Amino acid sequence: MMVRMGQASNAADRRDRRFGYALAAPSLTVLFLIILFPVLSALFTSLHEYTLIAPNFDTFTGLANFKAALGDAEFRHSAWLTLRFVIGVVLLEFVIGFGVALMLNKVERFKPVYYAILLCPLLMNPVIVGLIWRMFLHPNLGIVNYLLGTIGISPVNWLGDTKIAIWTVILVDIWHQVSFMIVLLLAGLSSLPKEPYEAARVDGANAFQCFVHITLPMMRTVIIVTLLIRFIFAVKTYDLIYIMTRGGPGVATDLVSYFIYRTAFVSLNIGEASAMSILLLTAILALTAYLYRYMRSLN
Amino acid sequence: MAGIELKNISKVYGGSVVAVDDISLEIKDGEFMIFLGPSGCGKSTTLRMIGGLESISKGDLLIGGKRMNDVDPADRDIAIVFQNYALYPHMTVAGNLGFGLKLRGVDRGEIERRIKAISSMMGIEALLERKPAQLSGGQRQRVALGRALVREPQAFLLDEPLSNLDAKLRAAMRTELIKLHHKVGTTIIHVTHDQIEAMTMGQRICIMKDGHIIQVGAPLDVYRNPANTFVAGFLASPPMNLVTGRLEGNGGGDLHALAGAARLPIPEAFRAGYAGHSGAAVTVGLRPEDFHLAPLAGRSVPVAVRTVAVELLGPEVILVAELGGAGGPEIQARMPRDFLARPGAELTLHYDLTQIHLFDGQSGTALARPQIA
Repeated sequence: MMVRMGQASNAADRRDRRFGYALAAPSLTVLFLIILFPVLSALFTSLHEYTLIAPNFDTFTGLANFKAALGDAEFRHSAWLTLRFVIGVVLLEFVIGFGVALMLNKVERFKPVYYAILLCPLLMNPVIVGLIWRMFLHPNLGIVNYLLGTIGISPVNWLGDTKIAIWTVILVDIWHQVSFMIVLLLAGLSSLPKEPYEAARVDGANAFQCFVHITLPMMRTVIIVTLLIRFIFAVKTYDLIYIMTRGGPGVATDLVSYFIYRTAFVSLNIGEASAMSILLLTAILALTAYLYRYMRSLN
Repeated sequence: MAGIELKNISKVYGGSVVAVDDISLEIKDGEFMIFLGPSGCGKSTTLRMIGGLESISKGDLLIGGKRMNDVDPADRDIAIVFQNYALYPHMTVAGNLGFGLKLRGVDRGEIERRIKAISSMMGIEALLERKPAQLSGGQRQRVALGRALVREPQAFLLDEPLSNLDAKLRAAMRTELIKLHHKVGTTIIHVTHDQIEAMTMGQRICIMKDGHIIQVGAPLDVYRNPANTFVAGFLASPPMNLVTGRLEGNGGGDLHALAGAARLPIPEAFRAGYAGHSGAAVTVGLRPEDFHLAPLAGRSVPVAVRTVAVELLGPEVILVAELGGAGGPEIQARMPRDFLARPGAELTLHYDLTQIHLFDGQSGTALARPQIA
């Protein structure tokens, strides 16, 4: 009797599962067509000599495109630049974001107003952000240099100077994305239990000790997840570069996404560009897998 | 060790919400004091003001004779045990116990020695390397108590520390806290809404309602001589039956309370106190345990009741009945465990008149009479 009941429920389970797959099939198909197919196609292309001048898969080159990409000093430069850009952007956004989140966490009045203001940049398209800032930062006509001029600072060539341009991009990215950090960290902070803080006050901890011994350890998971998400997104930065600098001056802001774009659509070397994007995808996937595993390990 | 004194203390939130209204209380050095009251009565707020987690809006707080109103919680030399334990989730049990000492700059050897002593006292030596998430509720409670004890403070403030435990564990921890108080002899203030905790644990109970202290006294004293209908209806389970009635008769032998159809002669000892209220509306307080099946020589009076329901609790039976017959006010009476009655059955119980309580019909304040000892 028991055995039969077990079998019956197994059969029901199987039926449920089949029905579930049937329901998911249409969206899985669409996902396959629009995401997995291009990825596989890029992988296939990366193994061939495929240029826009000779768009065919006649010559199988194995890993030659990957070797060429890794051997390309410009690709290595942009990969290295991207790494520094990402670390710089994420760390600065984290420090500013955590600071602001800590302050806002203490605020009791007008909280929704602050939220609304903070969310404004996040709601804007990166292309628009780039266009606006390019206008602001125009060496002769921009408002930034005008304002600096009123307090006697000589005009800065924000996007034209090889030493300054990357920092300008970093600053604009911070302006655009720091609210993301603030909002996530603030959500984390406001969900922390109050009692350990009271216990710590009775135990004799001052504000700094509370922060080090209570806030940071309790926020650990939120911090790691926030950093990883932001890291993954920052690696893909493309629109800001395209709009503001086109990788220039020279190759001073040539982040890897933009460099891949140039290889594919300026140099017309689709095969090598595909190999580069596969490399980039691998790096991002590795980060994502780590993030996913980390988040699962929390449960 | 130190006594704690509250002088006309008030807590006002946002300029208008009065959580605690002008209370004064002296807690003696080494005393086990209970703050008892329903949710929102201000007992936790009072405790938190003593602990320094809430500012004091008005009045003075003295610990060990020194004014502590503006002293940092850490410098009041008190320890607080929170309702949900408030352990540091990322620290081990040993880390939790030692954190306060570490912040105070106690040297490492001494910290370890104290952690060892306290953990063996609380029976948590085996848990020292665990994190709070890996502990059961009872174990967390022990760690929280241990964290308070390890600092050897002048007073312990316990904010409903047992309310998150299951019934069996709660009873066990009650006994343990009492033992602990005997052992360390430190002043303890224990906030609770559980009247069993209040009756069993404290040397004195301070009963609060709506930000006021209603009554302070030894548990049995408060039980026997409740100051008003609120205290009468709050302590003990089932609580005192409160029946609207009237005091009648002249000062002599015919002075009696009418409760529903029941006529309850006032015993001689109380007559002088109650006589002045003759003719007034009163609330008659009858404890369920003062109804008996057989007459008590010279001090009981038969009362007719009609059975409504019978609750079999095992060690005793709670009889729910209408006083004076059908349609009378509903009362509860404690009966022996073998008592049986069908709903609707008419019975005669014997009420112990020496335990009668009369309260002002309007204000609910107990009418003056000699205290029952």
